[in-house]
Amino acid sequence: MATNLSFQMSKEISGRIREISGQNPYLCIQCGTCSASCTGIGKMDFLPRQVIRKIQLGDPGVLQCRSIWVCTACLTCTARCPRGIDIARLMEALRTINLRKGNEILVLEKISLDLIKEIPQMALTSGFRKLSA
Amino acid sequence: MRIPYFPGCTLYARARGLDNSTRAALAALGIELAELPQWTCCGTVFPLAQDNYIGMVAAARILANAAKAGDGRLVTVCSFCYHVLKRVNYAVKNNQEAKDKLNNYLEESYAGETRIVHPLELIRDEIGFASLQSKAGGKLRGLKAACYYGCMLVRPAAELAFGDPDNPTIMEEMVDALGGEPVDFSWKTKCCGSYQLLNASDLVVERVRDILSAAAARGAQAIVTSCPLCQFNLDWVQEKFVPKTNGFSKIPVLYFTQLLGAALELPADNLGLDQHYVDPRPLLSGGCS
Repeated sequence: MATNLSFQMSKEISGRIREISGQNPYLCIQCGTCSASCTGIGKMDFLPRQVIRKIQLGDPGVLQCRSIWVCTACLTCTARCPRGIDIARLMEALRTINLRKGNEILVLEKISLDLIKEIPQMALTSGFRKLSA
Repeated sequence: MRIPYFPGCTLYARARGLDNSTRAALAALGIELAELPQWTCCGTVFPLAQDNYIGMVAAARILANAAKAGDGRLVTVCSFCYHVLKRVNYAVKNNQEAKDKLNNYLEESYAGETRIVHPLELIRDEIGFASLQSKAGGKLRGLKAACYYGCMLVRPAAELAFGDPDNPTIMEEMVDALGGEPVDFSWKTKCCGSYQLLNASDLVVERVRDILSAAAARGAQAIVTSCPLCQFNLDWVQEKFVPKTNGFSKIPVLYFTQLLGAALELPADNLGLDQHYVDPRPLLSGGCS
């Protein structure tokens, strides 16, 4: 991807990502192990590695990318990161910042009635906890 | 032997068969599961935001109540419940701030005493696979099973301690003891797409197709799991989306407790085998007595 180095994420946002996740994104060496292991990669606009690069570069657009919402929090990236970064926590921080501003992706009306009747209860609870404000 | 048991929300609704077959199979092996007198949903997902303590309170309350039951252990079978309870307990034990805040919410002094145990661990440690083999060995008559763990049961390994996070084998050991043939299945800890069925259902369809194809390529006649959401995704997607025209034949997706129950020759009514989309009964009636 073309990289614009003039990004300026506010110090408040980058501080909040680190505070909520407890992770240091600058440890990332862009090896791509997370991307290669990712469950949701087929539906992502940026690879997990690129999401972290955006955080490193201070690109405020990282909060708007689709990738953070198709992450399944399966923790494969976290388990395999050679730098010990809990990448799932970084993804969660990006979702959390959105959700706390009311920016949600999953609304009840979007789910088909057929599916609601069939799906296990745990899927509704986990989906709403991860994807709705 | 009587051990405190937390079923969880889905086992009281959609995954009734998992609850019934777990209780029945363990009872047949001499372990009575004593359901906690009071419980709520565990919250289903462990909060990954460091400051989200409220997301841990439900699980912490379950753990604190279980501690009062006096056994020291709490059995739970759903992968999500196991994951959340074990991680919240780990947080209480290893993070002073989490311990203080959660106890302030609960008005308790819980210190992480409860040990979360999965029925597979109970079978291995309390009954033993050799003993299981003497009770029900050979009953599966070489049924080829792909043991599917999914994500929540094994990761993160430091907290879950459920075997190798990329290659756990405890379910295979059970299948083997029952006379089944666990197939070599490299997709066993891949995620099925989980709750994304609500938001990006095509992602789940793709992952399920990958998992099923890998199992079929190894000759699996059944997929065995411990997670109600994996079971649903793998089962329902086959029924709904996997095209019937490309030579793919359906694979029943069973809970390991149903397989165990069938091998122990428990009445089929107790096992919930009629609650699946891809009917496993023909396979089990042919595969075990």
